[in-house]
Amino acid sequence: MNDNPLIHIQNISKVYEMGGEQVFALRDISLDIYPNEYVALMGPSGSGKSTLMNVLGCLDTPSTGIYTFKGLDVNEMSDNDLAEIRNREIGFVFQTFNLLPRATAVKNIELPLIYSGVSSSERKSRAIKVLQDVGLGERLTHKPNELSGGQRQRVAVARALVTNPSIILADEPTGNLDTKTGIEIMKLFRDLWLKGNTVILVTHEEDVARYAQRIIRIRDGKVESDEKNTVSQYSQGTE
Amino acid sequence: MNILESILQAFESVRSNTLRTILTLLSISIGIFSIIGAGSAVATLDSAVNTQLVAMGENSFMIRRTPTINIGNSWRKYRNRKDITYAQAKEFKNNIESTDLISISDETDGYTAKVGNLSTDPDISLIGCDENFFTIKNMQIIEGRSFSAQEVLSATSTAIIGNDIVLKLFNGRKAIGEYLTLKNQQFLIVGILKSQGSMFGKSLDNQIMIPISTFMRYHTDEWGSSVDITGQAYSKQSFLQTVDESIGTMRSLRNVKPWEDNSFEIETNETISNQFASFTGYLSMFGIASGIISLLAAGVGIMNIMLVSVKERTREIGIRKAIGAKKNWILFQFIIEAITLCQLGGIIGIAFGVIAANGLSTLINAETQIPLFWVLFSVGTCTLMGLIFGSYPAWKAACLDPIEALRYE
Ligand SMILES: Nc1ncnc2c1ncn2[C@@H]1O[C@H](COP(=O)(O)OP(=O)(O)OP(=O)(O)O)[C@@H](O)[C@H]1O
Ligand SMILES: [Mg+2]
Repeated sequence: MNDNPLIHIQNISKVYEMGGEQVFALRDISLDIYPNEYVALMGPSGSGKSTLMNVLGCLDTPSTGIYTFKGLDVNEMSDNDLAEIRNREIGFVFQTFNLLPRATAVKNIELPLIYSGVSSSERKSRAIKVLQDVGLGERLTHKPNELSGGQRQRVAVARALVTNPSIILADEPTGNLDTKTGIEIMKLFRDLWLKGNTVILVTHEEDVARYAQRIIRIRDGKVESDEKNTVSQYSQGTE
Repeated sequence: MNILESILQAFESVRSNTLRTILTLLSISIGIFSIIGAGSAVATLDSAVNTQLVAMGENSFMIRRTPTINIGNSWRKYRNRKDITYAQAKEFKNNIESTDLISISDETDGYTAKVGNLSTDPDISLIGCDENFFTIKNMQIIEGRSFSAQEVLSATSTAIIGNDIVLKLFNGRKAIGEYLTLKNQQFLIVGILKSQGSMFGKSLDNQIMIPISTFMRYHTDEWGSSVDITGQAYSKQSFLQTVDESIGTMRSLRNVKPWEDNSFEIETNETISNQFASFTGYLSMFGIASGIISLLAAGVGIMNIMLVSVKERTREIGIRKAIGAKKNWILFQFIIEAITLCQLGGIIGIAFGVIAANGLSTLINAETQIPLFWVLFSVGTCTLMGLIFGSYPAWKAACLDPIEALRYE
């Protein structure tokens, strides 16, 4: 872990103006995240986890503070630059899946490739490949409402993976799933990490956090603790 | 590029907001229909009239009390004009020196002809004319003969008949030398006209010619007894001279003071096509004006549909942006969608416009003119409309904040 950090944030705050009153969603957060880390972000509801994820994922910009992604200053970037970073470098997985309802699994997965200008034949073969990787090779032409919750989340994970991003951000990916399906999805993330991917995952379940290698706890927009996960044998990559 | 996807999305919009979308598409259709309809109608009429003008013969002109084509309320201008009397016309014919081809004629409708106990419908045109008429009007007599100058002078009861009359009253029997009855008067049939087909839905063969002198004596209708004078110059070179001479002669015969306008119309192929052009000009202007109004109304509708579509798909836009769609992609997607919607309405309008134009040309028996220009114009207009009225909703979509859009329920 002594190469350059993938993500470097320093004294980041996010303030919302609510009827003249300032609401601090993030206060003075500093973090470094290195390639091939598996990080769990934990904390009570309203503590700022999603806000932090959105900032890390370049969906949102901090009010103050420094954010460098792969050495590039994110604060300096235009909307289009941010869109490009999101497209090429970041794979987002949402709690509510956020798939296009009318598009088939393959089409959903092709979407980020469309925006990065990949040819249609390559798009299709890459989409099918990742769908097979997440174990949905049989469901290529199903639409989201023809899939189970776990299957939808697999499609969402496949969509996050298809561009070979530098980092995968997952905001409560198991929040809408039952325990058994949740475990399957967590195995998927662990496998990705074992293959060398960088993963940040938001959760408020200790069971889920146990899969990670590093656990960051947040409270009231501040980092409460940031430590290596010693509890789990999974972090060693063995079962 | 996701053009195809955007186009499919437009169809999706039609499906999900059926009624509103269909109403809007309808007003686009009506707008385009007005434009195409007027365009085709004008093109069809134009070509029909041009054919007719050519058939009328080159270097010919007409002198009448009022113009052939009369638009708007300009009839007031002509109301007080005195008739061109038969006597006046005869004097005119005698006085013109630059050509001998002057014909005097008059026409009235609604005649019934009888032979024995056979009779026609009361829809025959009766034309009084003279020996020059057939030459100037390019009418051929396929059987028998034309009128002689002597016949016209002495007002004989002779007739030259069109093909429809032959078919109805003689049905294969020989017509030349037979008699037919018009208003209790017997006429000897001396000639049969070559069939000329029909024009503006009216058969040109359903007519009977008699000497103008006979016509003036017995058959002038209640509209007065103003006759028409048709003339033909000997050549293209002498045409203007003949027209000038005609105007001068007519003015002096009708005592027009030097400072007054002509108290008659002199029409040439050129003036008729000018009159016609101003008529078709009105028609196209009307079509375009009503087209633009309904297109504007439709534009507002399109904007509304697109705004609703953007609103309903806020989350989808959020997803697309989160995944890396740039502003321009979203902008492009929604503009393509708006253009597709407009084209959809436009295609329906073009189809109905062309059908209407076809109907018109069958009605007046002319060749259909599908005005390619107007079809292209419509496609262009629809594209422009999609651009104009789709831009604002598309811009709104493109500017959505991804996080807020994702949070939208
Ligand atoms: N758009 C906004 N406007 C105002 N306040 C906001 C906005 N978004 C978030 N907040 C506030 O910021 C704080 C952090 O919100 P955030 O969504 O990051 O919490 P969270 O840790 O993800 O909670 P949960 O576990 O419930 O998802 C909350 O107090 C919230 O009210
Ligand atoms: Mg959250």
